[in-house]
Amino acid sequence: MTSYSKEVIRDLAAGQLPWPQTRRIMSAYKDDDRFFKMVAVYQDRVAWKDPILLPVSDHLFICQSGDERITRCECGHSFGDYRKNWKLNAAINVRNTEEALREIYPNSDLPDPQWMEIREFICPRCGTLHEVEAAAPGYPIVHDFEPDLEGFYREWLGKPL
Amino acid sequence: MLDKPASALRLRERLLDSERLMEETGCYDGITELTLRNQDPLKFETLHTKLRAYCVSAREMARRISASPGVREVGEMVVAIYTPEGDAIALSNGIMVHVHTMSRFIKWMIKNNYEENPRIREGDIFANNDAFIGTVQVPDVMDVVPIFHEGTLVGWAGAVCHELEAGGITPGGDVCLAQERFTEGLFVCAEKIGENDEIRRDYVIRCERNLRMPIYWVLDEKAKVASCIDMRESVKQLISEIGLDYWMKVSKEFIEEGRRAQLARTRQLTVPGIYRGHTFYGHVTSGKPGFQLLGDPDWLYNIPIEMEITTDGKITMDFEGTQPWGYHSMNCTPAGMDGGMFVTLTQHMNFEGLVNDGAWMATELKLPHGTWTNPDNEMVATATSWALLLPAYGVFQRLLSRGFIARGYVEEAFVGQVNSPMIEMGGESQYGTPFGMAHFECAAAGSGALAIKDGLDTAYVGWNPESDMGNIEVWEQSMPMVYIGRSIVPNSGGAGKYRGGCSFVSTWLINKTPHLRLHTSEHSSRVFDNGGMCGGYPAPTCQKHRAVRNSNIHELAAKGQPLAHAPGIDPHVSDYEKNIGGDHVVVEGPYITAPHKEGDIFSHSYNGGGGYGDVLERDPIKTAWDVENGFLTREAADQVFGIVLKDDAEGYPVADIDATVERRAEMRKQRLAKAIPVADWIARERGRVEKADFAPEVKKMYASAIKLSSRFTRDFSDFWNVDARSIFTPGAKS
Repeated sequence: MTSYSKEVIRDLAAGQLPWPQTRRIMSAYKDDDRFFKMVAVYQDRVAWKDPILLPVSDHLFICQSGDERITRCECGHSFGDYRKNWKLNAAINVRNTEEALREIYPNSDLPDPQWMEIREFICPRCGTLHEVEAAAPGYPIVHDFEPDLEGFYREWLGKPL
Repeated sequence: MLDKPASALRLRERLLDSERLMEETGCYDGITELTLRNQDPLKFETLHTKLRAYCVSAREMARRISASPGVREVGEMVVAIYTPEGDAIALSNGIMVHVHTMSRFIKWMIKNNYEENPRIREGDIFANNDAFIGTVQVPDVMDVVPIFHEGTLVGWAGAVCHELEAGGITPGGDVCLAQERFTEGLFVCAEKIGENDEIRRDYVIRCERNLRMPIYWVLDEKAKVASCIDMRESVKQLISEIGLDYWMKVSKEFIEEGRRAQLARTRQLTVPGIYRGHTFYGHVTSGKPGFQLLGDPDWLYNIPIEMEITTDGKITMDFEGTQPWGYHSMNCTPAGMDGGMFVTLTQHMNFEGLVNDGAWMATELKLPHGTWTNPDNEMVATATSWALLLPAYGVFQRLLSRGFIARGYVEEAFVGQVNSPMIEMGGESQYGTPFGMAHFECAAAGSGALAIKDGLDTAYVGWNPESDMGNIEVWEQSMPMVYIGRSIVPNSGGAGKYRGGCSFVSTWLINKTPHLRLHTSEHSSRVFDNGGMCGGYPAPTCQKHRAVRNSNIHELAAKGQPLAHAPGIDPHVSDYEKNIGGDHVVVEGPYITAPHKEGDIFSHSYNGGGGYGDVLERDPIKTAWDVENGFLTREAADQVFGIVLKDDAEGYPVADIDATVERRAEMRKQRLAKAIPVADWIARERGRVEKADFAPEVKKMYASAIKLSSRFTRDFSDFWNVDARSIFTPGAKS
């Protein structure tokens, strides 16, 4: 069975594994012990102790916090119950003028801000930009991911939550 | 396992029986046990490898017959081997989107009693390019031949080439002026075009008299038929070695194995749950010549997708809430939507094992009737359906990638495919003859970023995993234009910790022709039709066209003065305007204008991919390299990424790490200072929503979505705590 050391997985997640090695991993049979190894890598990365249950973005994790399961930023900020859209508890910066869009696209033709805006969802504590939505004005904020956490652990991982 | 003799049932009955068995058992053709695989796995795998080798070899051989640079140079072709019922057993590389659309074509013929009339006999050749029967768009012409063994139909061999000229209202294949099916070009509707392994002369004559460049289409037909015969003979030889009964059983087991492998792969690589995403597409044709006023000239489409992965590994994609079909060329049929799903799966989940129609069977598409994904009117045009397909399946790739990240397989996460606008052309060639052609260098856009590295520069499109822009010299042989530039577009990848892959821009001098028509399609200029992920930004919108009529380029060249080879990095004044005299033209959206002539200059740029991760985490050293090599501008490095560059002794950019750390800390502070709580933003925006204070195209989009989808209406109303129907469709019955 394919398996890699925790150090290799750590470097892979950090984008620091040399490309030839990364490519071999991409081409090989997948390592079935990846999930818990990756969770351990993330757990080492964060300063808080709540056990990580599922990574959901580059710096966002669902974790067990006492009796609750919450979405937490790598910095420790809680976005609340993992079943709710974490974006609703984020800070937002909306780019809906040519001037604001030009800051991100300095040398390109721009979209029409009457037709489309950029929404930046930011951690209110550390300022990490967690997600960017490009949407028509008035479009509801999308709830990206509602994992079936119970089903995942019970039926796919064969382990209790 | 249910054992069916090869010819016990008529084909149509056999197909219906196969579908019933799938319904009843949940397994392909009722195959609940992989008996042959279990008996001799090595023989099983070896046989499938042989079939795949037949396909790959037949395609490569056929490409040498074709005259089309699209097929010869860029590889716009795929071939596959099917069961008698039309399910793909094995396939080649190439434009794999069509493996399943061909399956639909075969099934359509069976269900429409082709056994009776026009009959299915050994040596017959059938062709189709009708998307409502089974393809994506008119230029995707498919040929299939039945495979008989001692009088029994034992399978089909099929091949598709993307034609560079389809005989539509404008030259080329992707006919953006087509607003109904009647202007898309030459249709071949599940037609028997040959017998006894020979293409009928009357069919060739029809092609010769209805196409601007029949040599491409006709030689592609010969290439496809040759590949089909090659595969057919290989399969017949194989059957003579393994026996007919074994073939009939093993070919079905291959597909069931493929279905099971897809379910297992989903369980291995993702996390069950509900995934959501969206993208948009904006079309601008106001005031452009040729477009009939059959609908709004400018419009905005939303493409929301909800994907469910269940614990048994099934993937369901639901397009509810998207827009109705329209009088434009970008509608898609269920066959095209299936094809998009298939080609995406083959790239992301079926990278090993038995790749065939089984993967598609482990998924489900929900395509709301009456929308652009499933029109309730078969007269609609689908000539440029990729314009919406590519953004839609880019969303699918991001949704899948969210699952890969959650499961820990970060190396598989990919921000996805983008549109790659095409140029179609026709008129008088450099040889003084009539011509028509699609320029297929578009098959090399920038890809979305990965979760561990930057996207691919000028090396990816969604429809063909073997991306290739083709050699300049080959294209120059085929059109009356010569390249004066082909270069990377700086900042064309979306910004992020890992940037999207960059695209390129070409600049041509129109040469040796008094009449060159240039038309382009697949431009979303007013909205992003791609996205970023995990904090990455979308790639820029489709860029404007810049052309110079009556240029003084020959005078400049004669004097040895500098020319312009690309638009440059000033979005307000191009390098053409700075360096070249003449009548300068800037066009947003599809390029539909009067013909060009010798001495004019034309430029066209392709799209980059979306970015991944927070821009303030991008590697400063990599960024300095990007600036040095023209992938990013100094402005972007500074103001987007917060990277301070200085020059080394030779004038090359190097990152000032300490200054960068300082600048980024300041940018992070500014970011937080400018941001407001989402709850506050919602409270403020709600007033705007209540007043429907939006551009007319945005309001129309909401009204259309509300009319078609109760779920969209409910979600919109719940989110803003308003009555969406009364705001956007006042007076309409609920």
